[in-house]
Order: sequence, then structure tokens, then C-alpha cells
Amino acid sequence: MVNQPLDAALATLVAAARRSDVARRISGDVETRLLQSIVDATVQLFEAEAASIALFETDPDRLEFRVAAGEKGAGAVGLTVPPTQGIVGYVYSTGQALALSDVANDPRFNRDAAQQTGYVPRSIAAAPLVDEEGTVGVLQVLDKHSSATFSLRDMELLAVFAGQATVAIAAARVQRDTRGLLREVLSELAPDLDQDGVDALVSAAAAGLDADEDQPFWRLVDQVDRLRSLTDREASMVADILTVVAEHAERTRRDRRGR
Amino acid sequence: MTDPTLPAWSEPFAHPRRTLRRTLRVRGVSREWAWGGATGAGIRVGIIDSGLENAHPRLDRRVVQNVAVEMTDEGPKVVPDEPMDLFGHGTACGAIILSLAPEAELVSIRVLGADLRGKGTAFAAGLEWAIEQGLPVCNLSLSSKSETLYPVFHDLVDRAYFGSMALVSAANNVPAPSYPSLFSSVFSVAAHGEPDPWRVYYNPEPPVEFGAWGVDVPIAWKDGGSTVATGNSFAAPHIAGLVALILSKHPGLTPFELKAILASVADNPGRRHPWRRRR
Repeated sequence: MVNQPLDAALATLVAAARRSDVARRISGDVETRLLQSIVDATVQLFEAEAASIALFETDPDRLEFRVAAGEKGAGAVGLTVPPTQGIVGYVYSTGQALALSDVANDPRFNRDAAQQTGYVPRSIAAAPLVDEEGTVGVLQVLDKHSSATFSLRDMELLAVFAGQATVAIAAARVQRDTRGLLREVLSELAPDLDQDGVDALVSAAAAGLDADEDQPFWRLVDQVDRLRSLTDREASMVADILTVVAEHAERTRRDRRGR
Repeated sequence: MTDPTLPAWSEPFAHPRRTLRRTLRVRGVSREWAWGGATGAGIRVGIIDSGLENAHPRLDRRVVQNVAVEMTDEGPKVVPDEPMDLFGHGTACGAIILSLAPEAELVSIRVLGADLRGKGTAFAAGLEWAIEQGLPVCNLSLSSKSETLYPVFHDLVDRAYFGSMALVSAANNVPAPSYPSLFSSVFSVAAHGEPDPWRVYYNPEPPVEFGAWGVDVPIAWKDGGSTVATGNSFAAPHIAGLVALILSKHPGLTPFELKAILASVADNPGRRHPWRRRR
């Protein structure tokens, strides 16, 4: 029952998984590094006390500060706030950028969260990070040295940095999604295999690659090869998906090399 | 010439406002005619936002109803809500409206809440409810980027327009498409930086048609508080307040007529009483 599209699919699967793993190892946590460079630049350009980026995470729903810069910024990293509270929550929820001045004079304003960071700002400007799916996080900047308030031009600049951060997140997530794609492909190839089985196969493949051994990966290939229920149409669809995966991985690899 | 140092959406409203120069002014349509002596009395204004804090001193007990959109398994449902505001943002918008139209009645339609995943859908459901209630004015200082909801909002905005409801919609603060602020029938509003709540510009080059004060605006905020804020969110309620004023003096005007009146009395340059100049 071996057919050409399935062989091609398997070959591409091997190549894609290897490339994605290589890219991951070379880059480390590329997302955090890119986001850090963006908040560094934000603090410098605004001449502000601090800048930080919070990303939306689930289980439970929260906004988690991933990176921060500036003299007063460091305390924010790792802090989580409910997505329904404060300026950051508001900007996340509505997708509308906002600047507040005179924050510290309002004793009730977001004070608990701010105090956790060790710094209660006088003014805040925040812009949403918006991709095609919706809002994924918030970029905020605290207290310009030169002015007590933020201007419209500040808001526009902040939106530009927010745009960069969104692109950085999207690029980094392509790598992470490769694993998700493998999972989808396997489910498609083996509709009888339950979710645990699919997860086990994907984990085996990923773990094996980390150990620099090809063997577990071939186990995966063997498993896939044993799936006899594949029609030509399904197999060709799988091959198409895998080609896309491979192209993504190839592009990521080329980008790394190009730097 | 485009000034690269100015943000796209506020640029038309910043000095020298060349593109705002207009000669059309409807004779007899003055601010005195439009809203002189008016208070907003009898006009209910919907605020689709984070809720309204009824007890806030700057809302002056003008809130007549609080509802919220709840996401259920059967879809979004409009239910009675607590007199509270999650963030302070809705309260800020309500207080701005009352600062212009002190006797208007506010209806809070809270669409922001714990269930953030359904927020675009909740927003649409809240807007539909406002249309069904026949509210003559509604302030939308939020927008949705969902392409899926594009046709839903398009349909709702048309229903509002044909039902003679003025939807006042803050332009998005980032230059990405968002709805319903980009639809032609809404009163789309961006910010100008002059500290004057009565200063209004009409922009003949849409999508953003009106400019109102939105920079360093002293606003009401959560828990009886106040602060100073910048955003198109705070420009829109200035226009909503003016619309409420006009409607309280001239009930039954359509959105088309209201826009024409605002354009006619706007502070655009080069048009102070042009009809007095004889040629």
C-alpha cells in the first residue's frame, strides 16, 4: 500500500522536523530577545523611566509581563495582572491605545499592581499588540523625563513599536506552531489514533531530536507508515501541508543564516 | 505636504488644517440655532463600554439603566448589570457627555468583562440591543478588528442609520482597519489637542469625519476618581454630547441632518461667517 505521495510526505516530515529543531536550537528564545530589544528602544526614544510588554496567556486568563526596560522597569518582569483591570487590561480588552497622566495622584488607580513592580508611575501610555487574530498583548511606557503627559505623536510612535513587537511575536510563533502542525498532520494521517497517541508520537519525535539521535524519529516514521487507511487524496493533502511546513522551516533557517 | 511627525488620524485636525478649509456654511444654521439653550433633556445616550459607575459624582445620578452582555452557551445575552465600571473608561465617556449635555440620560451597555474571548461578539450584541431600544445616540469608544464580524457590524450600522440612531464611533488609535469606525454612516471621531470641549472640526477627507478634544482631557475614572487621559476614546463622547444637545432642541433629526449641522457649525479655518462677505 506504499504510494508516492505518502513517501514524499514522510520525507518532507523528516526534513521539516529537523529544520524546525535546528532553528529552535540556534535561536534560543528568539521571542524574548526581540521583545527585549523593542522595549529597550522604546525607553531610549521616549526618554522614559520604564517600558514593558505584557502578553495574554490562558489558564487562567492573564496578562503576563514578559520583558521590561528602563531604570524603574525591572520589577515588572514576571508580574501577571487580570486582563480586566487597569490601563493594561483596558487596552488589551478594547484594542484602543490610551495615555493617562496624573496616575499617582489617584490613590485607587491600579495601585496594587503598580506597587508590586516597586514603581508607581505618574503617567502611562499603552498600545495594543494586534495581529490578524486580535489583541495578543500590550506595550506600555511609563513617565517621560521631558514631559508630564503623552502627546498624539507619542501615541503614534508607541503604535509603531507595538507593530514591531507584534511582528516579532508572530515570527517566533511560526516555529512554535511547527510542532502544532506536526500534531495536526498526524491526526489527519491516523484518524483512529487518539489524542494521547498523537501527542506521544510528537513528543517522541521532538525528544529524540533533542538527544541527537535519529532513532526515535524513525519510530515515528514507522508508526506513520503503518497507517494503511490513507486514501490518495488524504495523502496528497498531507504532502501539501508538509510542504508548507518545510517552507516555513526553510525560511526561518535562511533568516538565521542571513544575519 | 504630509507632516511625518504627526499621527495619521489626528493630522487633519492639527495646525494649519489646510485640508479642513471649507466655504460651505448653511445660512441660519448657527451654534445658537443648533443647541442654544439646550441641555440634552429627554435624550437617552447609550454608552457601549466598560460599564458606568452610577455613584460617581461626575455622573450626577444621570444613569437610568445598566445592562451587560453575558456570553452564554446559547450565545450572547443582555442582562441587568451592577451600577459599576470595570476600568473607569465608560464612566469617563459618560462624564464627558454630561459636561456638554448635563440633562441627558445615560444607558450603560457593558460589553467588556471577564469573558474576553467573545468580546467582538459581545460588542455586536450590545450594539444590536441599543438599536432595538431605539436609543437616539450611542457612543462607541471601542472597535473590533474581527474580519468575521465585518458583515455583522455593517448590517447593524445600516440598521442604526435607517432607524435614525446616531452612532458616534472613536477612530482606532492605530492605523489598522477596525469597525464600525470605518463605516461611512457613523460619526467617526479622532482627537485634536486644543483644550476646548466645544471645539469641533469637520474633515472633508474621510474616513475620520470629525475632530474633537482628545489630548490631556481631565476625565472621571474608576472608584470616584479622576485623571488626565489622551485617546480618540475621549474625543468621541464630545461629539456624542453635542449630538444629544442638538437632538434635545430638535427632536427627530436624522444622522444625515445631524452631520450636516455639525459640519456647518464646525471651527474649520477660513470660514468664520463667510456669508457676510459680499462679492
